[in-house]
Amino acid sequence: MTTDVRTPITQAMQEGALTRRELKALMSRSDAPALVRVVGFVAVLGLTSTLITLALGTVWVWPAMFLQGIVIVHLFALEHECVHYTAFKTRKLNDVFGNLCGYAIILPFQQFRYEHCNHHTYTQLKGQDPELIELPISVWKYLWYISSVPYWRNKFSQIARNAAGRLNDEDRTFLTKHEAPIIFREARLMVAFYSVVFTAALVFGWSWVLWYWMIPLFLGEPVMRAIRLTEHVGRPNVDDMKENTRTSLVWAPMQFLCWNMNYHAEHHYAASVPFHALPKLHEKLRGYVYVEKRGYLGAHVDIIKQLIGHKPRSDAPTSKP
Amino acid sequence: MTQRDKTWQDVVAVADLEPGDVTPVTLGTRDLAVYDARDGVFVSLARCTHGAASLCDGHFDGTYIECPLHQGLFDARTGAAKAAPSRVPLRMFQTRVENGIVQILI
Repeated sequence: MTTDVRTPITQAMQEGALTRRELKALMSRSDAPALVRVVGFVAVLGLTSTLITLALGTVWVWPAMFLQGIVIVHLFALEHECVHYTAFKTRKLNDVFGNLCGYAIILPFQQFRYEHCNHHTYTQLKGQDPELIELPISVWKYLWYISSVPYWRNKFSQIARNAAGRLNDEDRTFLTKHEAPIIFREARLMVAFYSVVFTAALVFGWSWVLWYWMIPLFLGEPVMRAIRLTEHVGRPNVDDMKENTRTSLVWAPMQFLCWNMNYHAEHHYAASVPFHALPKLHEKLRGYVYVEKRGYLGAHVDIIKQLIGHKPRSDAPTSKP
Repeated sequence: MTQRDKTWQDVVAVADLEPGDVTPVTLGTRDLAVYDARDGVFVSLARCTHGAASLCDGHFDGTYIECPLHQGLFDARTGAAKAAPSRVPLRMFQTRVENGIVQILI
């Protein structure tokens, strides 16, 4: 027989935080909320693109591209939801939108899916969680991470490596010989796609690729890095969902952009619950998960306090046996 | 073990099944998932063949059961793995309903 595996869901149900019936009701799938939000995203992108158009040729184009970038990098949130097959009711629609987002933000969908599986299995466990972001050793290292330079360096080298048909030790923690060919093919397709886009941009003079897409993407990525930091960084590296993940209460526009993923602890408890039901799950798990009421800013205050010694580091060895 | 050695064992009353959903049942040392599917009642081992999470906590649409941990997908009628990261099929049991009781041949 299989051994008893305690997942966050079983933990929550065993501890009486919610019942299986309540959980099942929250797992109900629908296309409508995601389609409405996609339309909203397109509208916001239309607005920020208009700002770029109006500002072209002036210094105001940079803040306009930054705004556009903030929206573009949040396509990560939809891709993430599609990775869990919870954005839309049908798997095919999740695959379509997940891949579209992946191509838009240079994040291969299947590779992210396999990596993310291990992130959910080994959340915050050093050496096992492939998405673990270590608590930086200094404020400078913290700012360096937010700059996104390490992120892009890792991302580009991963895509190049996979496109060349190679895996490194970290890849092998979440990919077997069965999945590797899928990842190699996906990386090659992505390299081919961008090669075609940039060649076409050069040949046909498509400067919009830079002004409306690439420059905004790179300008906006630090915002996404800062948000990703709030999810687990500064929380203990322990196998306990009540401790290792942080939910941040944020204002409505940010919640719209991030597809409710600010309810991150709730998401980790029940990854099969769609984004639109996370506020309800948050109510069910009130008092059960770690919540940062001051939002993303409060999470960063918490992290920085640990970095400058105003608070014990979350990764410090405990005195407990 | 041959077919002759197997016997029908009571698993759960049909009235106790979660309607249209999957019900967890322990039979001896076995953790079972009993599916009240569109095409009838089916029984498999409850643990996902990928990460061993209980499929009884997953989303069931009447045909396919989704693992709650990694969203791998199985056909609840045949046990076939339908979507990554699941690859190994579920162990299914021959199932029947007798006098309102779900039984499996083991």
